[in-house]
Amino acid sequence: MKEKINQVGRVINKIFNPEVKISAIRYVFSFIGVMIVGAVLIAAQGEDPIYAVKAIIKGAFGSMTALGNTIRWATPSFLTAAAALVAFKSGVVNLGIEGQMYVGALTAAIIGYSLDLPNGVHQVVCILLAGIAGILWVIPSALMRLFFNINEFITTMMLNFVATLLADFIVLWIIIPQTGETTTTIRTPSILDSAKLPNLIKGTSSSYGFFIGLLVLLIIYVIFKFTIKGYELKQVGENLRFGKVGGVNIIKTFLSIFIISGFISGIAGGVEVTGGYNRYISRFSATMGWEGIMIARIAAQNPIAIVVVSLVWGALKTGAMSMERVTSLNRLTVNLLQMLFVLFIAIDYEGIYTSIKNRIMKKKEVKRLMHEQESTQQS
Amino acid sequence: MFSEVLKWCVNITTFAAAFRLSAPLIIGAIGGCFNESTSTGNIAYECFMLTGAFFGAYGSFLFGSPYYGSLAAMVSGLVLAGIYGLLVFEFNCNAMIVSIAYNSGAWALTTLLLTSIWGVRGIYVDPKIVSYPNITISAFENNHVLDVLFNGNIILVYLAYVIAIIGYIVMYKTPFGLRLRGVGINPEASQAAGVNVHRYRWICLLIMGVFMGLAGSYMPLSGLSMFAENMTVGRGFLVLTAILVGRSNPIKVTLVALLFAYSISLTLVLSTYGIPTQLMSMLPYLMVLIVLLSAGLRSFKGTADLSA
Repeated sequence: MKEKINQVGRVINKIFNPEVKISAIRYVFSFIGVMIVGAVLIAAQGEDPIYAVKAIIKGAFGSMTALGNTIRWATPSFLTAAAALVAFKSGVVNLGIEGQMYVGALTAAIIGYSLDLPNGVHQVVCILLAGIAGILWVIPSALMRLFFNINEFITTMMLNFVATLLADFIVLWIIIPQTGETTTTIRTPSILDSAKLPNLIKGTSSSYGFFIGLLVLLIIYVIFKFTIKGYELKQVGENLRFGKVGGVNIIKTFLSIFIISGFISGIAGGVEVTGGYNRYISRFSATMGWEGIMIARIAAQNPIAIVVVSLVWGALKTGAMSMERVTSLNRLTVNLLQMLFVLFIAIDYEGIYTSIKNRIMKKKEVKRLMHEQESTQQS
Repeated sequence: MFSEVLKWCVNITTFAAAFRLSAPLIIGAIGGCFNESTSTGNIAYECFMLTGAFFGAYGSFLFGSPYYGSLAAMVSGLVLAGIYGLLVFEFNCNAMIVSIAYNSGAWALTTLLLTSIWGVRGIYVDPKIVSYPNITISAFENNHVLDVLFNGNIILVYLAYVIAIIGYIVMYKTPFGLRLRGVGINPEASQAAGVNVHRYRWICLLIMGVFMGLAGSYMPLSGLSMFAENMTVGRGFLVLTAILVGRSNPIKVTLVALLFAYSISLTLVLSTYGIPTQLMSMLPYLMVLIVLLSAGLRSFKGTADLSA
């Protein structure tokens, strides 16, 4: 009997170990903080917060179309967050996810409208080549880091801007004159039907890209959890010197992190084109690449948590749009709250707690010492 | 056509436009030099600039004077920098994540304020947003070249160059600047030498906030009298680029900012001639890579290596 109780106790301890406790506190704190700020923000715009939340939930899950839209907006978040996870978990600061996405998207769009391949092969070719384009875009940063010790966060970020401008240039000066399409926006012709990913829910732009995203996250989860390669990748990020001494081929591992991250980012772009927009549109992503980094951060770099956070993110995006329709609120309110949530999550509550505790302990210690001194003086 | 394009490239009005457009870049970049040289990890320049632009417009709208507008913008920059410092220095947040959230949130914040205060989406134009008056220096009026180049600008343009010189003097000729650079190069050694690293980082961050706010207020108050959604369109990133290319030396940064402004004004002029302006807009970002590479070549050892 006693043994059994001990066993149960051990399991409970395992589930509620300090790490989990701290992250649970972190999420609860952040959630409460965002709720309070959000309520104030919504009330300040003259609307009922509860009604607004209801509108968001109804807009995100209320009908089949709403669900489809939620899935559609969660899909890019899966992939960009996966790309960010691989990079940041292994200590590579890849801020160029956005640029790699654009390069991948443009590649997928060009293959999609110009090549005539059978249905089923075409999508695969598009997405794979998009991934390879993403790799090509990240390789310069990797080489500059390895050979010249130039911090990759600057080079990847700068290549973002180069990517968007280069894609615009290619579309505007090469593709549009060639195809003779007359548009007011910078965009390629629509991709062929054989290159389109099949729809998941009819009438929405949700596609099987959703499963590609899930698959990628699953593979990452398996690699990091169960394989030696994953352990090596993590080791490079957490303690480079230890990895070196432990016999990890640092250079190769480091390069492979860049390649995987770039590949996933490229796929993200490819899926956006084949499953979402069906063509390359200039600056389509807005901030998806950056959102990926934030989602990976919120999810504490855990692939399973990324699925949940991305779904919530997608739901908020679609919910906010329908909220804007039924209330006078601006959908950017939700956007702002998302950013606030990121800031709240980033706060190191444990550090604050320990520093406050230390300060109180010190005060007590000082008081005790003074008290002792007084008593010795009196006697 | 080629000769005509070339004529525009060296045309005096192009240079005048570059002189004018460089002002926000220079003001922001000088503030950013302080921030960058103490390595506070901040890359949220776009956010500071955009909110500065909004509060510049709003302050001018409320008080009917562009000076109050700039003041409001500077205060907004100060507050945002304060929150940033609180999060990063006191609460141990990851500077990168905070910066990204800042940059992404700025657009939402300013647009929300735009809709809730003025009730419009997109663009708000109102003569009540009083712009700075143009200044004419009579000494330049006799000479045509000088007249076109330097006359008829708002005060912020001239102020930018004054700030650049003051920034250089503070950074390289005062004990404060010496310690500040020391903090950036080797924080531990500075701490050992008795410099309060924490305080220096705070001061530099706040300086950056104020200057970025002022730089942001240039845009609505430079004669347009309006505020538009996402008004800065990546100028904040251009400021960061200028700082990186100029290696946070105020004089070099000013020259680089001037060069970027020249390329912006060229894109404005040449877009009518059917020249791919995208390639020209790429120039600043490619320059960062080239500068970093040329600096990195010196430390090139011939093999791939990673230092912890």
